[in-house]
Amino acid sequence: MSSYQAGSVETRPYVDPTPLPDDIPKVQELGVSSGPLKSAAFFIGAYCKEYNEDFMLCKAESRDPGHCLKEGRRVTRCATNLITKMRENCLSQFQEHWNCLERNNQEYYLCRKPERSLNACMFEKLGLTKVIPGTPQGQKPIHEVENPIFKAIQK
Amino acid sequence: MTSLGFFDHHHFNFKTLLTMAAPYRQDMPPPGGFEAVKYKRNLPFRGPGALAILGGVAAISAFGFYRYGQGALEKRELQREKAWSRIHLVPLLMAEGDRDAYRRQQAALAREKEIMKDVKGWEAGKSIYNNPKYASPQFVVL
Repeated sequence: MSSYQAGSVETRPYVDPTPLPDDIPKVQELGVSSGPLKSAAFFIGAYCKEYNEDFMLCKAESRDPGHCLKEGRRVTRCATNLITKMRENCLSQFQEHWNCLERNNQEYYLCRKPERSLNACMFEKLGLTKVIPGTPQGQKPIHEVENPIFKAIQK
Repeated sequence: MTSLGFFDHHHFNFKTLLTMAAPYRQDMPPPGGFEAVKYKRNLPFRGPGALAILGGVAAISAFGFYRYGQGALEKRELQREKAWSRIHLVPLLMAEGDRDAYRRQQAALAREKEIMKDVKGWEAGKSIYNNPKYASPQFVVL
Protein backbone atom coordinates (compact mmCIF):
# COMPACT_ATOMS: atom_id res chain seq x y z
CA MET A 1 0.00 0.00 0.00
CA SER A 2 1.20 3.45 -0.79
CA SER A 3 -0.10 6.68 0.58
CA TYR A 4 -0.12 10.14 -0.91
CA GLN A 5 2.95 12.16 -0.16
CA ALA A 6 3.07 15.87 -0.79
CA GLY A 7 5.92 17.04 -2.98
CA SER A 8 7.36 18.93 -0.06
CA VAL A 9 7.52 17.74 3.53
CA GLU A 10 7.87 21.30 4.79
CA THR A 11 5.13 22.15 7.26
CA ARG A 12 5.24 25.80 6.27
CA PRO A 13 4.92 27.12 2.72
CA TYR A 14 8.04 28.40 1.07
CA VAL A 15 8.47 32.15 1.35
CA ASP A 16 10.99 33.92 -0.80
CA PRO A 17 13.54 35.29 1.67
CA THR A 18 14.94 37.97 -0.65
CA PRO A 19 14.57 41.40 0.96
CA LEU A 20 13.21 44.48 -0.77
CA PRO A 21 15.80 46.10 -3.06
CA ASP A 22 17.96 48.71 -1.32
CA ASP A 23 16.82 51.56 -3.56
CA ILE A 24 13.32 51.33 -2.09
CA PRO A 25 13.05 53.30 1.17
CA LYS A 26 12.08 51.13 4.11
CA VAL A 27 8.89 51.67 6.03
CA GLN A 28 7.82 49.97 9.22
CA GLU A 29 4.80 47.79 8.48
CA LEU A 30 1.72 48.54 10.55
CA GLY A 31 1.62 45.09 12.14
CA VAL A 32 -1.89 45.51 13.56
CA SER A 33 -4.33 42.61 13.51
CA SER A 34 -7.87 42.68 12.17
CA GLY A 35 -9.69 43.60 15.41
CA PRO A 36 -7.87 46.89 16.07
CA LEU A 37 -7.92 47.67 12.34
CA LYS A 38 -11.67 47.28 12.26
CA SER A 39 -12.01 49.38 15.39
CA ALA A 40 -9.86 52.14 13.87
CA ALA A 41 -11.15 51.82 10.28
CA PHE A 42 -13.36 54.91 10.20
CA PHE A 43 -10.69 57.03 11.90
CA ILE A 44 -8.08 55.82 9.42
CA GLY A 45 -10.53 56.79 6.69
CA ALA A 46 -11.01 60.24 8.20
CA TYR A 47 -7.41 60.94 9.24
CA CYS A 48 -5.63 59.57 6.13
CA LYS A 49 -8.22 60.60 3.55
CA GLU A 50 -5.81 62.46 1.24
CA TYR A 51 -3.13 59.77 1.30
CA ASN A 52 -5.65 56.99 0.76
CA GLU A 53 -7.30 58.74 -2.15
CA ASP A 54 -3.94 59.59 -3.67
CA PHE A 55 -2.91 55.94 -3.43
CA MET A 56 -6.14 54.65 -4.96
CA LEU A 57 -5.93 57.17 -7.82
CA CYS A 58 -2.39 56.00 -8.43
CA LYS A 59 -3.57 52.38 -8.44
CA ALA A 60 -6.24 53.32 -10.95
CA GLU A 61 -3.41 54.48 -13.25
CA SER A 62 -1.67 51.13 -13.11
CA ARG A 63 -2.10 47.93 -11.15
CA ASP A 64 1.64 47.27 -11.22
CA PRO A 65 2.77 46.72 -7.60
CA GLY A 66 5.90 48.75 -8.31
CA HIS A 67 3.96 51.77 -9.53
CA CYS A 68 2.62 53.19 -6.27
CA LEU A 69 5.26 52.29 -3.71
CA LYS A 70 5.81 55.90 -2.68
CA GLU A 71 2.11 56.59 -2.17
CA GLY A 72 1.81 53.25 -0.37
CA ARG A 73 4.54 54.21 2.09
CA ARG A 74 2.70 57.43 2.83
CA VAL A 75 -0.51 55.49 3.49
CA THR A 76 1.25 53.12 5.86
CA ARG A 77 3.07 55.94 7.67
CA CYS A 78 -0.18 57.83 8.11
CA ALA A 79 -1.97 54.79 9.50
CA THR A 80 0.92 54.07 11.88
CA ASN A 81 0.76 57.69 12.95
CA LEU A 82 -2.93 57.44 13.68
CA ILE A 83 -2.67 54.18 15.61
CA THR A 84 0.12 55.69 17.71
CA LYS A 85 -2.01 58.74 18.44
CA MET A 86 -4.99 56.57 19.30
CA ARG A 87 -2.91 54.56 21.70
CA GLU A 88 -1.49 57.69 23.30
CA ASN A 89 -4.85 59.39 23.77
CA CYS A 90 -7.61 56.77 23.98
CA LEU A 91 -5.77 53.57 24.86
CA SER A 92 -8.33 52.13 27.28
CA GLN A 93 -11.35 52.90 25.09
CA PHE A 94 -9.55 51.60 22.00
CA GLN A 95 -8.58 48.36 23.71
CA GLU A 96 -12.04 47.90 25.15
CA HIS A 97 -13.63 48.34 21.73
CA TRP A 98 -11.35 46.07 19.77
CA ASN A 99 -11.49 43.41 22.46
CA CYS A 100 -15.28 43.59 22.24
CA LEU A 101 -15.07 43.22 18.46
CA GLU A 102 -12.83 40.19 18.84
CA ARG A 103 -15.34 38.63 21.20
CA ASN A 104 -18.34 39.40 18.97
CA ASN A 105 -17.38 38.14 15.53
CA GLN A 106 -16.10 41.64 14.66
CA GLU A 107 -19.62 43.02 14.36
CA TYR A 108 -19.97 46.72 15.08
CA TYR A 109 -23.62 46.47 16.12
CA LEU A 110 -22.78 44.19 19.04
CA CYS A 111 -20.24 46.67 20.45
CA ARG A 112 -22.02 50.02 20.45
CA LYS A 113 -21.32 50.86 24.06
CA PRO A 114 -17.49 50.71 23.87
CA GLU A 115 -17.70 52.22 20.40
CA ARG A 116 -19.53 55.30 21.68
CA SER A 117 -16.98 55.92 24.40
CA LEU A 118 -14.17 55.50 21.85
CA ASN A 119 -15.88 57.87 19.40
CA ALA A 120 -16.38 60.45 22.12
CA CYS A 121 -12.74 60.20 23.18
CA MET A 122 -11.49 60.43 19.58
CA PHE A 123 -13.59 63.51 18.96
CA GLU A 124 -12.50 65.14 22.18
CA LYS A 125 -8.78 64.42 21.87
CA LEU A 126 -8.13 64.23 18.14
CA GLY A 127 -11.18 65.91 16.60
CA LEU A 128 -12.00 62.86 14.48
CA THR A 129 -15.58 61.71 13.94
CA LYS A 130 -16.97 58.52 12.51
CA VAL A 131 -18.95 59.30 9.36
CA ILE A 132 -20.61 56.59 7.30
CA PRO A 133 -20.95 57.89 3.74
CA GLY A 134 -24.28 57.36 2.02
CA THR A 135 -26.51 57.47 5.11
CA PRO A 136 -29.99 58.62 3.95
CA GLN A 137 -30.73 62.34 4.44
CA GLY A 138 -32.31 63.24 7.77
CA GLN A 139 -31.72 59.79 9.22
CA LYS A 140 -29.64 59.11 12.28
CA PRO A 141 -26.43 57.27 11.39
CA ILE A 142 -26.74 53.65 12.42
CA HIS A 143 -23.97 53.84 15.03
CA GLU A 144 -25.86 56.60 16.89
CA VAL A 145 -29.31 54.98 16.98
CA GLU A 146 -30.33 54.68 20.63
CA ASN A 147 -32.70 51.73 20.47
CA PRO A 148 -31.89 49.65 17.41
CA ILE A 149 -33.76 46.52 16.37
CA PHE A 150 -30.59 44.49 15.92
CA LYS A 151 -28.71 44.34 19.18
CA ALA A 152 -27.09 41.81 21.44
CA ILE A 153 -29.67 39.58 23.10
CA GLN A 154 -27.67 39.42 26.32
CA LYS A 155 -27.07 42.80 27.84
CA MET B 1 -115.67 -26.49 60.53
CA THR B 2 -113.86 -23.23 61.01
CA SER B 3 -112.18 -21.53 58.06
CA LEU B 4 -108.36 -21.29 58.10
CA GLY B 5 -108.29 -17.98 56.12
CA PHE B 6 -105.93 -17.92 53.21
CA PHE B 7 -104.09 -21.02 54.43
CA ASP B 8 -107.20 -22.75 53.66
CA HIS B 9 -106.38 -24.44 50.42
CA HIS B 10 -109.90 -24.07 49.25
CA HIS B 11 -109.80 -20.25 49.36
CA PHE B 12 -106.08 -19.52 48.37
CA ASN B 13 -105.77 -16.23 46.40
CA PHE B 14 -102.76 -13.95 45.40
CA LYS B 15 -104.74 -10.78 45.83
CA THR B 16 -105.32 -11.65 49.39
CA LEU B 17 -101.56 -12.29 49.80
CA LEU B 18 -100.51 -8.77 48.47
CA THR B 19 -103.05 -6.86 50.45
CA MET B 20 -101.80 -8.52 53.50
CA ALA B 21 -97.99 -7.68 52.86
CA ALA B 22 -98.18 -3.80 52.44
CA PRO B 23 -100.90 -1.28 52.38
CA TYR B 24 -101.90 -0.17 48.91
CA ARG B 25 -100.24 3.05 47.60
CA GLN B 26 -100.48 4.73 44.16
CA ASP B 27 -97.09 5.97 42.68
CA MET B 28 -97.38 9.73 42.04
CA PRO B 29 -95.11 12.60 40.80
CA PRO B 30 -92.99 14.32 43.50
CA PRO B 31 -94.58 17.17 45.33
CA GLY B 32 -94.44 20.32 43.13
CA GLY B 33 -94.35 18.22 40.02
CA PHE B 34 -91.48 17.01 37.81
CA GLU B 35 -88.78 19.58 36.86
CA ALA B 36 -88.76 20.83 33.29
CA VAL B 37 -87.02 18.63 30.68
CA LYS B 38 -83.58 20.10 29.70
CA TYR B 39 -83.77 20.10 25.97
CA LYS B 40 -82.12 23.56 25.24
CA ARG B 41 -78.31 23.81 24.32
CA ASN B 42 -76.26 24.79 27.31
CA LEU B 43 -72.68 25.71 26.09
CA PRO B 44 -70.33 27.71 28.35
CA PHE B 45 -68.50 30.87 27.01
CA ARG B 46 -65.37 29.73 25.13
CA GLY B 47 -63.13 32.78 24.53
CA PRO B 48 -63.47 35.82 22.30
CA GLY B 49 -65.47 35.88 19.14
CA ALA B 50 -64.34 35.33 15.57
CA LEU B 51 -64.04 39.02 14.76
CA ALA B 52 -61.97 39.67 17.86
CA ILE B 53 -59.57 36.85 16.99
CA LEU B 54 -59.33 37.98 13.37
CA GLY B 55 -58.69 41.54 14.46
CA GLY B 56 -56.08 40.44 16.99
CA VAL B 57 -54.22 38.30 14.47
CA ALA B 58 -54.32 41.12 11.94
CA ALA B 59 -52.98 43.60 14.49
CA ILE B 60 -50.14 41.30 15.58
CA SER B 61 -49.24 40.56 11.96
CA ALA B 62 -49.29 44.24 11.06
CA PHE B 63 -46.95 45.02 13.92
CA GLY B 64 -44.66 42.17 12.89
CA PHE B 65 -44.49 43.30 9.27
CA TYR B 66 -43.80 46.88 10.33
CA ARG B 67 -41.01 45.71 12.63
CA TYR B 68 -39.60 43.50 9.88
CA GLY B 69 -39.54 46.45 7.50
CA GLN B 70 -37.74 48.62 10.04
CA GLY B 71 -35.28 45.80 10.62
CA ALA B 72 -34.61 45.44 6.91
CA LEU B 73 -33.85 49.16 6.65
CA GLU B 74 -31.59 48.92 9.68
CA LYS B 75 -29.79 45.90 8.27
CA ARG B 76 -29.08 47.84 5.11
CA GLU B 77 -27.43 50.58 7.16
CA LEU B 78 -25.41 48.03 9.15
CA GLN B 79 -24.24 46.54 5.87
CA ARG B 80 -23.24 49.98 4.61
CA GLU B 81 -21.26 50.57 7.79
CA LYS B 82 -19.44 47.25 7.38
CA ALA B 83 -18.69 47.93 3.71
CA TRP B 84 -17.24 51.36 4.46
CA SER B 85 -15.09 50.03 7.30
CA ARG B 86 -13.54 47.69 4.73
CA ILE B 87 -13.26 50.36 2.06
CA HIS B 88 -11.30 52.56 4.47
CA LEU B 89 -8.83 49.75 5.05
CA VAL B 90 -8.29 48.84 1.39
CA PRO B 91 -5.44 51.32 0.62
CA LEU B 92 -3.56 50.33 3.75
CA LEU B 93 -3.74 46.59 3.10
CA MET B 94 -3.11 47.02 -0.61
CA ALA B 95 0.00 49.11 0.03
CA GLU B 96 1.39 46.44 2.31
CA GLY B 97 0.58 43.70 -0.18
CA ASP B 98 2.10 45.68 -3.02
CA ARG B 99 5.41 46.06 -1.21
CA ASP B 100 5.56 42.30 -0.68
CA ALA B 101 4.52 41.60 -4.26
CA TYR B 102 7.17 44.01 -5.55
CA ARG B 103 9.83 42.33 -3.41
CA ARG B 104 8.95 38.92 -4.80
CA GLN B 105 8.72 40.30 -8.34
CA GLN B 106 12.24 41.74 -8.12
CA ALA B 107 13.55 38.48 -6.64
CA ALA B 108 11.98 36.50 -9.49
CA LEU B 109 13.48 38.92 -12.01
CA ALA B 110 16.96 38.49 -10.50
CA ARG B 111 16.51 34.71 -10.57
CA GLU B 112 15.45 34.77 -14.18
CA LYS B 113 18.42 36.98 -15.14
CA GLU B 114 20.81 34.59 -13.42
CA ILE B 115 19.32 31.49 -15.03
CA MET B 116 19.02 32.94 -18.55
CA LYS B 117 22.30 34.90 -18.62
CA ASP B 118 23.82 32.60 -21.29
CA VAL B 119 20.86 32.84 -23.67
CA LYS B 120 21.38 35.55 -26.22
CA GLY B 121 18.55 37.95 -26.88
CA TRP B 122 16.58 36.94 -23.75
CA GLU B 123 14.84 39.78 -22.04
CA ALA B 124 14.25 38.94 -18.43
CA GLY B 125 10.86 39.97 -17.10
CA LYS B 126 9.42 40.66 -20.53
CA SER B 127 5.66 40.35 -20.69
CA ILE B 128 4.28 37.51 -22.75
CA TYR B 129 1.66 39.92 -24.06
CA ASN B 130 2.30 42.62 -26.61
CA ASN B 131 0.55 45.10 -24.35
CA PRO B 132 2.07 47.67 -22.03
CA LYS B 133 -0.75 47.19 -19.50
CA TYR B 134 0.30 45.39 -16.33
CA ALA B 135 -0.73 41.75 -16.14
CA SER B 136 -0.37 39.88 -12.87
CA PRO B 137 1.98 36.90 -13.18
CA GLN B 138 0.63 33.42 -13.82
CA PHE B 139 3.18 31.79 -11.52
CA VAL B 140 4.00 33.30 -8.16
CA VAL B 141 6.69 32.30 -5.70
CA LEU B 142 5.47 33.47 -2.36
